[in-house]
Amino acid sequence: MDNLTALLEGFSTVLHPVYLLYALFGVFVGTAVGVLPGIGPAMAIALLLPLTYSLEPTAALIVFAGIYYGGMYGGSTTSILLNTPGESASIVTAIEGNRMARAGRGAAALATAAIGSFVAGTLATVALTFLAPVVARWAVRLGEPDYFALMVVAFVTVGALLGSSVPRGLAALALGLFLGLVGTDTLTGQQRFTFGVPNLADGIDVVVVAVGLFAVGEAVYVGSRMRHGPVHVIPVEKGWRTWMKRDDWRRSWKPWLRGAAIGFPVGTIPAGGADVATFLSYASERRLAGPRRKEFGKGAIEGVAGPEAANNAAASGVLVPLLTLGLPTTATAAIIIVAFQSYGIRPGPLLLQSESALVWALIASLYVGNLMLVVLNLPLVGMWVKVLRIPRHYLYAGILLFGALGSYALNFSPVDVLLLVLIGLVGFFMRRYGYPVAPLVVGMILGPMAEDRLRRSLAISQGDLTYLVTSPFAATAYAAIVLLLVAGLWLRRRERAAEVPQEQSPETP
Amino acid sequence: MSTPGAPGAPGHEGGPTAAATPPRRRWGELVLAGVIAALGVYVLLAAGGITVPGSTNTLGPRAFPYLVGALLVAVGAALVVLVLTGRAGQEEGGEDVDPTVRTDWLSVALLVAALVVHVFAINVVGWPFAAAILFAGAAVVLGARPWWRAALAGLVLGLLVQVVFGGLLGLSLPPGPLLEGVPFLRG
Repeated sequence: MDNLTALLEGFSTVLHPVYLLYALFGVFVGTAVGVLPGIGPAMAIALLLPLTYSLEPTAALIVFAGIYYGGMYGGSTTSILLNTPGESASIVTAIEGNRMARAGRGAAALATAAIGSFVAGTLATVALTFLAPVVARWAVRLGEPDYFALMVVAFVTVGALLGSSVPRGLAALALGLFLGLVGTDTLTGQQRFTFGVPNLADGIDVVVVAVGLFAVGEAVYVGSRMRHGPVHVIPVEKGWRTWMKRDDWRRSWKPWLRGAAIGFPVGTIPAGGADVATFLSYASERRLAGPRRKEFGKGAIEGVAGPEAANNAAASGVLVPLLTLGLPTTATAAIIIVAFQSYGIRPGPLLLQSESALVWALIASLYVGNLMLVVLNLPLVGMWVKVLRIPRHYLYAGILLFGALGSYALNFSPVDVLLLVLIGLVGFFMRRYGYPVAPLVVGMILGPMAEDRLRRSLAISQGDLTYLVTSPFAATAYAAIVLLLVAGLWLRRRERAAEVPQEQSPETP
Repeated sequence: MSTPGAPGAPGHEGGPTAAATPPRRRWGELVLAGVIAALGVYVLLAAGGITVPGSTNTLGPRAFPYLVGALLVAVGAALVVLVLTGRAGQEEGGEDVDPTVRTDWLSVALLVAALVVHVFAINVVGWPFAAAILFAGAAVVLGARPWWRAALAGLVLGLLVQVVFGGLLGLSLPPGPLLEGVPFLRG
């Protein structure tokens, strides 16, 4: 009951007209940027950070919530209407949604994605509302070694389980850990790896790294092998009557619910966030399709409805460890933590008490943002299609410009922009040679936190290493890592198996 | 082409790119893996030079750098071995990436040049014009024609951002000597 009162207070904040406008602005900008090809939610938030530098915390977090959900929505439009997927979470949607669009059922695909995202997003936000306080209450009792164990779990899942190559993921993670080391050691005040440069004494700003890797690295990489010529966007039939027929509803509602049920739990555990959730949902829809299984790979609506619902439910699930443990499990979450930190807010078990009004306003804005998205998105499809047609040279030039603006606006120092260019080059080479960039961002944020926990643990135990594993929770976490590694390898094999229908399906004549 | 039915034969003479790319790409990838390992060695060596204050009782400021350095060396070495045994990385795809073309290094260099010029132009000509240089430069490198339309778009965008972010949102972007006196551009 306590939660409900707090949530209602959150709503009373968010429903204030000014905040409603901020929420509307957030979802609108988030969707517009998310629709842009090549820009996932992580990049959207990193690029739009400067927008909020001058806002007060509540307004900024409401805008962020909008951008976060909007970016997720926008990605599905891109993958349905363009030939190739944008953010990784939408890849399975691209298989079925793109086939549906080519078969002239693009509007139905967009509608089931949007309504499914709304249904699952709302269900997951309800789950978040009830789960977050419980987890926070439990997390207060966790000790330093328990937190360290949690972070090790996050390192292993983000570094080793995501992406196509384990050593490349670990390399990206290690690079991120190194960048996290640069600066002044918090416990002893010693400078580490600053090369005597005064600008580096405070450490490298995560915003510069995130924008450099996601925006500059991506723009330069695309520039190196640009697809020239006109952009092919699949046309969508007009009029709301074409959105979803009775049969589409009948075939969609169960996948929506199943997607929410799969997505939320997967999002809450450090297991890779939305990617894994969408894939699991796709695989289960395919298995449950019965006689319709042969439609998969040729445009089965279940294959859009389920994964899209799972995607958005996972996006809410990710907020549970983020808000209650301060543990980012995806690159997007890592950047949200940075946004929190820029307001002096430290996510963790005490956040719900110390910043109660703010957190509940954020959660309330998730409900509001979800509703706005479903209302906005379907009628505005025509506009998003126009956004998709932006000439690519202007698109990537604009991405570079806003990336440069974001890092310049941090300290109003050109040195940050120069650092941005350097990190952008690193991002370019990582993309070119198949290194995932997300583990780098997560490693950079989590590295200093993990070091802090480790050293505090050993200070408590006076150097006794067994203290790290003797608490029941930590022991369970390390056992879970072993399980996760086994499960991850199994999942990857399944993923390869799921890719087969896409290759086998005949080309549309 | 001329060499019939020899799978994996290095066909460099402008043949199908799919066959020609792996042997070319491996060098850069090898260098990157080597750089990662070398960075690890550097971290291990430099970590020994971090001052440890006398008050530190258990794990000092050196321990975590040693761990990170060891991880870098290990994965760097593993990647060198992987690349040498022919298991190259799979480059990232994307909507606007053409998988059939080779890397256009000139474009990469020119994009980086546009960014670097932007960095040094901010304090000389002011943010809006430096932004225009970056936008127009990058757009032309990426294929915007005619160039003056890109330049015009860059100028409009630069001024627009200056007005919205500098004037309305209050970021102190320097308007530069040309626009010094204009009140609504002030950060």
